[in-house]
Amino acid sequence: MKKRIVALFMAGVMAAGMLTGCQKAADTAADSTETTAGSEAASGTESNTDKVTLRMSYWNSEDTVAALLDYLAEAVPEVEIEYQFIDNDNYNTVVDTQLSAGEGPDIICESPASALKHAKLGYLQPLNDLGKLYSDAGTNVYSYDGSVYALPGISWFEGIYFNKALFEENNIALPTTFDEYIEVCKEFKKLGIKPLAAGLMSWEPMLKNSMAFVTAEYLSTDAGKEFGSKYREGSITMEGTWDPYIEKWSEMISEGIYTSDMLGIDHTQALDEFATGNAAMFCSGPWDYEAIMAKNPDLQIDMMPFYGTTASEGWLIGGPGCGFAVNANSEHVDLAMKVLEALSTIEGQTALWENNQGGSSYLKGVSFWLPEAYNSAATALNAGNVYCPWNEWGEAAGAHENYGLEFQSYLDGQDLKTTLSNVDAAVAELLSK
Amino acid sequence: MEREEDTMVKKRTMPGSLGKYFIVFILPALIIYAVFCILPFIYTIYYSFTDYTDMNPANLKLVGFENYLKVFRTPLMLQGIKNSVIYAILLTGFQVILGLPLAAILNQKLRSRNVLRAVFFFPAVFSSLIVGYLWKYILSSAESGLINSMLVAMGFSPVNFFTSKIALYSIIATQIWQWTGWAMVIFLANLQSISEELYEAARIDGASSMKSFFGITLPLMCPSVKIVVVTGLIGGMKVFDSIYAMTGGGPGNATQTVMTIMMDKGISDGFYSTGAAFGVCFFIVVLIISALVNKLMLKWSRGIS
Repeated sequence: MKKRIVALFMAGVMAAGMLTGCQKAADTAADSTETTAGSEAASGTESNTDKVTLRMSYWNSEDTVAALLDYLAEAVPEVEIEYQFIDNDNYNTVVDTQLSAGEGPDIICESPASALKHAKLGYLQPLNDLGKLYSDAGTNVYSYDGSVYALPGISWFEGIYFNKALFEENNIALPTTFDEYIEVCKEFKKLGIKPLAAGLMSWEPMLKNSMAFVTAEYLSTDAGKEFGSKYREGSITMEGTWDPYIEKWSEMISEGIYTSDMLGIDHTQALDEFATGNAAMFCSGPWDYEAIMAKNPDLQIDMMPFYGTTASEGWLIGGPGCGFAVNANSEHVDLAMKVLEALSTIEGQTALWENNQGGSSYLKGVSFWLPEAYNSAATALNAGNVYCPWNEWGEAAGAHENYGLEFQSYLDGQDLKTTLSNVDAAVAELLSK
Repeated sequence: MEREEDTMVKKRTMPGSLGKYFIVFILPALIIYAVFCILPFIYTIYYSFTDYTDMNPANLKLVGFENYLKVFRTPLMLQGIKNSVIYAILLTGFQVILGLPLAAILNQKLRSRNVLRAVFFFPAVFSSLIVGYLWKYILSSAESGLINSMLVAMGFSPVNFFTSKIALYSIIATQIWQWTGWAMVIFLANLQSISEELYEAARIDGASSMKSFFGITLPLMCPSVKIVVVTGLIGGMKVFDSIYAMTGGGPGNATQTVMTIMMDKGISDGFYSTGAAFGVCFFIVVLIISALVNKLMLKWSRGIS
């Protein structure tokens, strides 16, 4: 009997525990709802109480928009931005899930591919009037069915950082063509200096390097400028089109500039090699500048663009980094639009640029000075030679990662036909959704 | 009559029998298991027969076995299954091959055996993710890579541990280092339950220590080997963290496993229904392997008895 009573008591305690747990969660949820609602309802009772909280999601850390958030707090005083950082690896998954559950962020930072997807699914508010304030180069990648669904942020770009001292000490002139670039690398190799530091554990370096070459040789020409739009329609393939350009670019491998050893080096280790003066060049963008200088404050660096076989201003890989979009299902669409209006001013763009120096604004009539570290890339930037091929691939933009992965296999011995065919297959699969 | 009453009383008071209160105790765990395991699994099976993608989150249509056919037509998915099987078999095999003699040695009366047991078990304490990141730096081809800098200092050529051909085996080697000590502890527990009298009898009969190991120790180790093999194979088949930390599935797709592909294709790329079909296929593969192992082990233990 005693045992039965103890058993019943224990079961009662367990059940009560479960219920208490549920109750706590429910209470907490209710409390948090009340807090938000309370702050909204209690307008005018105290300073700061009539603010509406808008959630903004982004894959970059908060310090990359710190000045913008400060500016928005002043420019749109009725709004308080709750910044939600989501790691890039999970960004799309998290935002997709939130949006499909009807609980997405009010303001969403979108990549061109995700903007297209969310626009098609009706998650985004059209921003046509504000879009007119920006150049077409910035808004084209965020357009769907004649409407603009995101406003371009500060552009990103990637070129080739070089160690100025190593070039000057060894009397090596900056290249102006791809062939000259190969010769420069060979000269460094003869001197026992690693020409290019590359962390090929990541799929990104060869993706950007090879695509920059194809951009200079083909995609920027009359013959190739339609490639992106045809590719996203499935009417052209990479295999059979890009082969001659990639074959030429493959001198980067055959001349031992990219080696299979690099498959065992990650981005940070490659950055260390460059920052410590053990390599003459390193492909990256402004986001790595501070890390390089922190490791070696005495290092003198500059950035050159990528080149094709003929002399030109050169090309940088890049484009609108993040597009600011408004969740069409937000309870505060009007306020979110107000925030984007504030962003679409000289002051707003300046605040955004503050933590993204080196990039440029797509807002008409706004230009920023270029830091000294990008002097040799100025000609390419001024010529507008900043291009991101996969931004044109529409729903298949995500296949750029497959491209980078396939190029790792290409470096490790896979043939070119298979490499490009596999990318085409990945693109076709994404387009079939 | 009295006997019947006695039996009734015994039935009621038998240890472990809760009668009608049984359901009260089992219900909380059953509800949690049903909500978080059974229900999602049923949903997974359902989604695997639909056209569910990130572009089509609603209005799902049944598409028959289309997603299953896609799984078997996609070389990457087949490679993922192959890599997972290689990983699971090699890791489990080496855990047993190295763990058993290690346990046998550390079961001897050595003065340092407690310290050595702790040393061998120590790697298993850390998360595979952390161990993976550490080994990534130890095996790196960069000048800072510990093993390669040692090889170069000794006059040897550096080794690239992350080429397409050997990257998977490099990862497996690090995981053998991490998990052999764990297997050793399981084997040790089993070893200590074997009666000393059996060894004494063998000694009296003139059996060598080698003969004793193969004649007494090994057959009686069946229960612990079964635990290590079954958990090792299932754990190995669903490996994710060490791969993610060391190679991310690369170079190319050389180290992609079932789980990394499910993450990439099934979640990141938004092919939810294909991912679900891949998950169901994976479940069947694991089920077959577990059944085979159980059958083999049962045969082994019957052979002993």
